[in-house]
Amino acid sequence: MYMAAPPKPKEGTLERIKERGYLLWGADAEGGAPYAFPDPGDPSKIIGFEVDLADAIAHELGVKAVQSQNAWDSLIPALERGDFDFAMNGIEVTEGRKNHVLFSEPYYIYTEQLVVQKDNTDIKSIVDLKGRRVGTLSGTVAQDILMGMGGVNVKIYSGQVEPYQDLALSRLDAVLLDLPIAAYYAKPNPKLKYAGPPVGEGLYAIAVRKNDTELKKKLDGILAKLYSTGELKKIYEKWGLWNKKQEKLASFFEDSGATTLEEGRRAPVKNFFPMLLKGAGVTVLISVSSMALAIGLGLLLTLMRLYAGPPFEWLATSYIEVYRGTPLLIQLFILYYGLPNVGISLNPVMAAFLGLGMNYAAYEAELYRAGINAVPNGQMEAALTLGMTRGLAVRRVILPQAVKIALPGITNDFIALFKDSSLVSVIAMVELTKTYSMLAASTLRFFQLGLITALLYFGMSYPLSLLARRLEKRLKKDQR
Amino acid sequence: MITVHGLYKSYGAHPLFQGISIQVEKGEAVVLIGPSGSGKSTMLRCINGLETFERGEVIVDGIELHSINSKRPSKQEAERIRNVRLKLGMVFQQFNLFPHMTVLQNIIEAPVRVLGMSREQSVADAREILRQINLEGKINSYPGQLSGGEQQRVAIARALAMRPEAMLFDEPTSSLDPEMAGEVLSVIRKLVDGGMTTIIATHEMGFAHEAADRVVVFDKGNIIETGPPTEIFTDPKVPRTREFLNRVLGRFRI
Repeated sequence: MYMAAPPKPKEGTLERIKERGYLLWGADAEGGAPYAFPDPGDPSKIIGFEVDLADAIAHELGVKAVQSQNAWDSLIPALERGDFDFAMNGIEVTEGRKNHVLFSEPYYIYTEQLVVQKDNTDIKSIVDLKGRRVGTLSGTVAQDILMGMGGVNVKIYSGQVEPYQDLALSRLDAVLLDLPIAAYYAKPNPKLKYAGPPVGEGLYAIAVRKNDTELKKKLDGILAKLYSTGELKKIYEKWGLWNKKQEKLASFFEDSGATTLEEGRRAPVKNFFPMLLKGAGVTVLISVSSMALAIGLGLLLTLMRLYAGPPFEWLATSYIEVYRGTPLLIQLFILYYGLPNVGISLNPVMAAFLGLGMNYAAYEAELYRAGINAVPNGQMEAALTLGMTRGLAVRRVILPQAVKIALPGITNDFIALFKDSSLVSVIAMVELTKTYSMLAASTLRFFQLGLITALLYFGMSYPLSLLARRLEKRLKKDQR
Repeated sequence: MITVHGLYKSYGAHPLFQGISIQVEKGEAVVLIGPSGSGKSTMLRCINGLETFERGEVIVDGIELHSINSKRPSKQEAERIRNVRLKLGMVFQQFNLFPHMTVLQNIIEAPVRVLGMSREQSVADAREILRQINLEGKINSYPGQLSGGEQQRVAIARALAMRPEAMLFDEPTSSLDPEMAGEVLSVIRKLVDGGMTTIIATHEMGFAHEAADRVVVFDKGNIIETGPPTEIFTDPKVPRTREFLNRVLGRFRI
């Protein structure tokens, strides 16, 4: 399972979907409502208008639709490396994106909506934004509009909930985002209001890989059919997203998405436990396996550095310096999104395991080295004079003493790794932190769910500290 | 048994040995004396390959070590050095017992893992050696639970368990108080009387006088005098030997 990389498309994606029996579509459930988000009633289920649309498309193809979780920022690179058949997640059609992917005909016409605090009277439209602090989402058309205006103090967010929160807390003067987002998150908030009519106009379309013209044509046909049968309208009406603009008539926008948000706010906490526990399970799996790799690889690096002689010593030293001197986040991106460019495609679990393990190996290596250097020189000399080879002396005399010295540091690193494992959400792993932010984004229960998530982390790392403390005590007793 | 010939060793630009030689016959007990830093310890460490030297040779029971220049000797060189070490037992000033092993484990580790001796055989050997030095009761103690004198006796036992042809003692009592030093010296004395070839670097003049077959006097990396203890201690030929003995014996007489 770990080694299974997502296969590069050999034959057409369309055939593979049919062969497989389900289509895999990429979206970020943390991106939130109303696109695709965890159902507050049953958080293990992803719902949203795009989920309904994907189901309708799958139905037309005679297969099932399965959502593939991926951070929004990296949906396009993930599509290019073949993680799923297509991406559909409020992806705006832009010239820049057209260089990388092929877009279907649009399935939604969106506008941008400016939102301000209820009692604000200064800002009536986007022309009033000069010199103001305006929040928006990274990589969106709204961001391009704001940047293009010049003189606006643009604050970029990676989630769509946070800008509205900061607006309500007066950390921002206004927020400019796609209307569906404003309709879901800002409209129901009594502290906020729409400022002026929607501006701009853009298209959401399904992104497929550049060579998938066949799939694009098929999707175009299906979308056209869904338009004409009225099924698309039904989906949008269900989510309160239907407006006259969808009929190419500019008019007012009605919404009712707030009902789901209210449901999310009221849903009993126990609904969220199964998903959080599943996320915790992934966190444990990733942390334990990558720590094992770090301990083993770290030892190898130390031995190479201290005992193996020039070429190996140099290699190990470079490895340690490079891995310690660059951010883990970058290493994960290179492993997951970079390596496919040279033909190595790792699945998310494998990339997370290698990424964390190889990074922490550098730190473990330094701990071992400090441990070994702390063993008095006389120990090695005594072992050598007894006729031991260097290897045997290291194994039987030096390492057991060095490990004892390094143990507190190793435990410390393990606990740190537990928490650093949340970084792997950038490479499409849904672990505990990612599960939390997905759930919190769709229910706005940041505090309550945050406490539960923090408790889960603590519940995993604290026993570890206790175990380590006992181990240290036992080792110390051996040699007063 | 042990021959050092034309040994040349320097620390950077500072020469220590400039071609010195020494020869020890089988069954002989040789005591090296001289001020601190005069090269006694370094000589012992050169003999079993713990120190590099630029020129000269060390021959132990027919195995020849020529100049060891590199900290990283070739495979064959390393193997030759190891063969020399198998013939020599070494005892350090700081004992250097393995703190994570019990007394028994310290003693049987090398016989089992290096010589391939059976565990039963090496445990039996260890018990016998410990019995001779009155430490049977400490067999399962850790070094940290022993006094300095006891630790040094265990270190001797550990070296003896490898059944060496000769023993090297590098200031074995320098970090012990006089009472403990006495325990250790009596163990060494027994070995010498039993006919073990020994080289001992020490400041214990009384012991040198009684136990040595021959005393070698070091001064600034040179051997300035060598002879039987009675001669060296009562009638030294070299003025510097006399100065040295006056200094240490004067101090010890107080």
